[in-house]
Amino acid sequence: MNAPAAIEVRGLARAFGEVRAVDGVDFAIREGELYGLVGADGAGKTTTVRLLAGLLDPDGGEARVLGLDPRDPRVREQVGLMPQQYSLYGDLSVGENLHFFGRLFCIPRAEYRRRVDRLLAITRLGPFLDRRASALSGGMYKKLALAAALLHEPRVLLLDEPTNGVDPVSRRELWELLYEFVGEGMAVLVCTPYMDEAERCHRVGMMNAGRILDEGAPAELVARFPHETFTVEGGAGELDAAARARLHPVLEAAPEVVAASPAGPTLRVVVRRGAAGALAGRLAPLGARLAPTRPEFEDLYLARMAAGGAA
Amino acid sequence: MSAALVRLQRLLIRVGALAEKETWHLVRDPRALIMGLGVPVVLLLLFGFGVRFDIADIPLVVVDYEQSARSRDLVRAFSANGEFDLVGELADAEAVEPAFRRGRAAIGLVIPPDFSDRLARGEPSPVQLLVDGADATSARQAMGKAEVMAQAAALRFVGAGDLAQAPPVDPHSWIRFNPTSASALYLVPGLTGLILAMMGVMLTALAVAREWEWGSMEQLFATPVGRLEIVLGKLLPYLVLAVLQVLLVLAVGAWVFEVPVRGSLPLLALSSLLFMASMLGQGLLISVVARNQMLASQVATVSSMLPTMLLSGFLFPIENMPWPLRAAAAVVPGRYYITTLRGVLLRGNGFAELWDQQVPLLAFTLAMVLLSTARFKRRLA
Amino acid sequence: MTPAIRVEHLTRRFGAFTAVRDVSFHVEKGEIFGYLGANGAGKSTTIRMLCGLLAPSEGDAVVAGHRVSREPEAIKWRIGYMSQKFSLYRDLGARENLEFYGGAYGLGGRRLRRRIAEVVELTDLAEVRDVPTGELPGGIRQRVALANAILHEPEIVFLDEPTAGVDPVSRRAFWRLIRHMAEAGTTVFVTTHYMDEAEYCARIGLMVAGRLAALDTPAALKRRHAPGTTWHVEAPAILRHLAALRRLPGVVEATAFGRGAHVRVAEGAPTGEAELRAALAAAGVPPTLVEPVAPTLEDVFLAVASADEQAAGTAAAWEDPA
Repeated sequence: MNAPAAIEVRGLARAFGEVRAVDGVDFAIREGELYGLVGADGAGKTTTVRLLAGLLDPDGGEARVLGLDPRDPRVREQVGLMPQQYSLYGDLSVGENLHFFGRLFCIPRAEYRRRVDRLLAITRLGPFLDRRASALSGGMYKKLALAAALLHEPRVLLLDEPTNGVDPVSRRELWELLYEFVGEGMAVLVCTPYMDEAERCHRVGMMNAGRILDEGAPAELVARFPHETFTVEGGAGELDAAARARLHPVLEAAPEVVAASPAGPTLRVVVRRGAAGALAGRLAPLGARLAPTRPEFEDLYLARMAAGGAA
Repeated sequence: MSAALVRLQRLLIRVGALAEKETWHLVRDPRALIMGLGVPVVLLLLFGFGVRFDIADIPLVVVDYEQSARSRDLVRAFSANGEFDLVGELADAEAVEPAFRRGRAAIGLVIPPDFSDRLARGEPSPVQLLVDGADATSARQAMGKAEVMAQAAALRFVGAGDLAQAPPVDPHSWIRFNPTSASALYLVPGLTGLILAMMGVMLTALAVAREWEWGSMEQLFATPVGRLEIVLGKLLPYLVLAVLQVLLVLAVGAWVFEVPVRGSLPLLALSSLLFMASMLGQGLLISVVARNQMLASQVATVSSMLPTMLLSGFLFPIENMPWPLRAAAAVVPGRYYITTLRGVLLRGNGFAELWDQQVPLLAFTLAMVLLSTARFKRRLA
Repeated sequence: MTPAIRVEHLTRRFGAFTAVRDVSFHVEKGEIFGYLGANGAGKSTTIRMLCGLLAPSEGDAVVAGHRVSREPEAIKWRIGYMSQKFSLYRDLGARENLEFYGGAYGLGGRRLRRRIAEVVELTDLAEVRDVPTGELPGGIRQRVALANAILHEPEIVFLDEPTAGVDPVSRRAFWRLIRHMAEAGTTVFVTTHYMDEAEYCARIGLMVAGRLAALDTPAALKRRHAPGTTWHVEAPAILRHLAALRRLPGVVEATAFGRGAHVRVAEGAPTGEAELRAALAAAGVPPTLVEPVAPTLEDVFLAVASADEQAAGTAAAWEDPA
């Protein structure tokens, strides 16, 4: 894991008027590493990506992509960007969009054919080559945008919420694609509000209000988790809807509870370490008990945000 | 291959890709094509015919102090071809002004009691034309027509071809280059310049602003494409469209309004190309700065229409303007193009007379491309 | 009790393409009904027909007592609709948007003020009610859209992907609202791509390529469509070794799940924890964790979608946009 850093960010900051969108961020991403930036809308993920793509000027700190300033024209040959919003040409077909971006990167014809054939095969977009981009479904559009960003075989890939509005099947396919490219040595930065996706990254930075609150491998972060996680069960294991509705407010009001949320037929609670006994005592008269379970990344995030997002 | 050559080759590939993509947008959005090719023709027809109708059926009153066969011939000559509409005869010239005020008439013809006698003696006969000056443009046109008509009628009476002799009716001026007083002929070169200016600026004003609105600028900026390449890639396809536009407008001018092309065709082609390039360049600059289509189209209309209408010599002669306006007119490309058009179409001029008009057009085009590139920030905010 | 929504053989074609094909189901009053499916499976088309915005090609539906084919206008007064795209005025605050749309529904005066106060309270928008909605974060903006959809006290609300792109904290807050609404007697018809959210629904309809492929409670769907044993497996770079797991006898599915993978093994197949561990060790990645887990709705979704795909014989049929 001693590959050179493909992306290095130190004290990076950018404000828009009064709003400090990115407020002193540090991280590094190695070649062959998949790094996730997770956080809510407005946490500063998109601004970070745009700074790294050279689309914005930083107010402070610095960013290095493959050792160069992201605004250096030489970097653009090596970086692929998939923006969050629609950014391809809706009135051009799938094939025309790809052809256009291929020519902007001056890819020789034979080489272009080879790469497009491969990308079409793995994105399964081949049958839709002549369809206008505006007529694609959400998942297909995202795959086309990914293909366009990969066409020039970049060493660094920046993905801003690539699976927004994408169904589970397409999401899986998108992630399997990513692993394939990371396996070939690509450095990937992916922004996402989804914790199950964050868990699939090699390392994760949890972002809130322009800052990275915590960083590390998902398993490591979960191992460091200072609280305990339980599911709340009734007599027969599962809780019925009425019991869930009755218990949820009780859990949220309990001082031992960091975060409580419904989880399928049960409720899931994050409890301060050592306080489980007290909570169990509260629940027993209500006919419910605590069953320990492994903490998941989402528990971590919820606990962090419930704590006010302070570092 | 040297590094410079590789760079040039890549520039050409990228400009080609952008131009091709822009052409796809154009072909798939019929609105742009209709605006580019249909609207100019419609505007020319509207303006051209509109002006014509203004000067037909001018209400005419006559004060005939002589009441002779000759004087009645003159009155008939006025009302015969439909340009003047004889609405009444008055007994006294004093009554003409009240007729104007009531809106009954726009022009009065006063024939003196010795009209025939003077003609017979070969003396200029002071036929009086009273014109309602409230609408200055119409008045000038009506007067011009009336003078020509009186002249022509009088010439017939004394025997045509006897040009050695002084004109029979007291002339104010001969109308040059437009002997039949066909106003379209006067106006078409100016109108052509104005319409092409407006349409040209509009075409490109939307082109870059659209990419901002679509969000595609973000993806475009993430590629190695340069600013100059984007500017050129946007300019080229529209230049082709603009050339078609010029051909169409000139064809309609020649066919419908019988505007001749007397001078150098190659000069006309070159000048049109330069002028359209300068207008497209102006549109690009607006587009680069405005970033949204609504604002861009408003700025485009105002910044193309007003200068071309007011400071190009289309409506008001530049020589008579105070010096600040003359200075402003010097940077209005329409001025040089309209001068060229009038020269080539009506006077039969060529490169010898008009080359100096092409230099400012070229300078303006280069300035716009460079300014657009310089103002084009490769940043999203 | 008459159902809030009764759908009978509903079909909608666009040219040669059938977006919704012979769909029938009903939704009880006060129920949270989840409508799931891939992009382009026909979810939005169904919702638009049920809201009276799109006429069915065949079949019919009764929504809040009115037939969509005959009285689409009457339906609009009795339902609330939150579309996928944020459709409020971005330069106006929540309160101003609510005043405007309240007026459009004929609410006015004291009644409108009372309703606005109620929905602002319910959706917890008091602090931001005067901030232009374009400046609000996505999660809060979705609450404004919901407030707007329920302003006129509809009997049924249709929510089309209300939580797309929204972070977990905001998603939870949003679902709490949905539950409150259902408890107060409002029928909720909701689409989502997030299977953890689908768990909160009383019943789920699963659309595949325009057809209703499954319909039941989450628990029953799991029993029926994800039988056998589901194993949670964690190993380094496991996603690159799924093929090795898929080759084991009886493995129906092996897919990415969280930081590991879910492997579903058919009933009675000779593949258990030892076999899974051995297969990964042979691939050079000894697993750090192998444990049986309860199947999730995501497992169900994948099972139903892939079974139907094979049945239809068109690998990408589900990708066709509505």
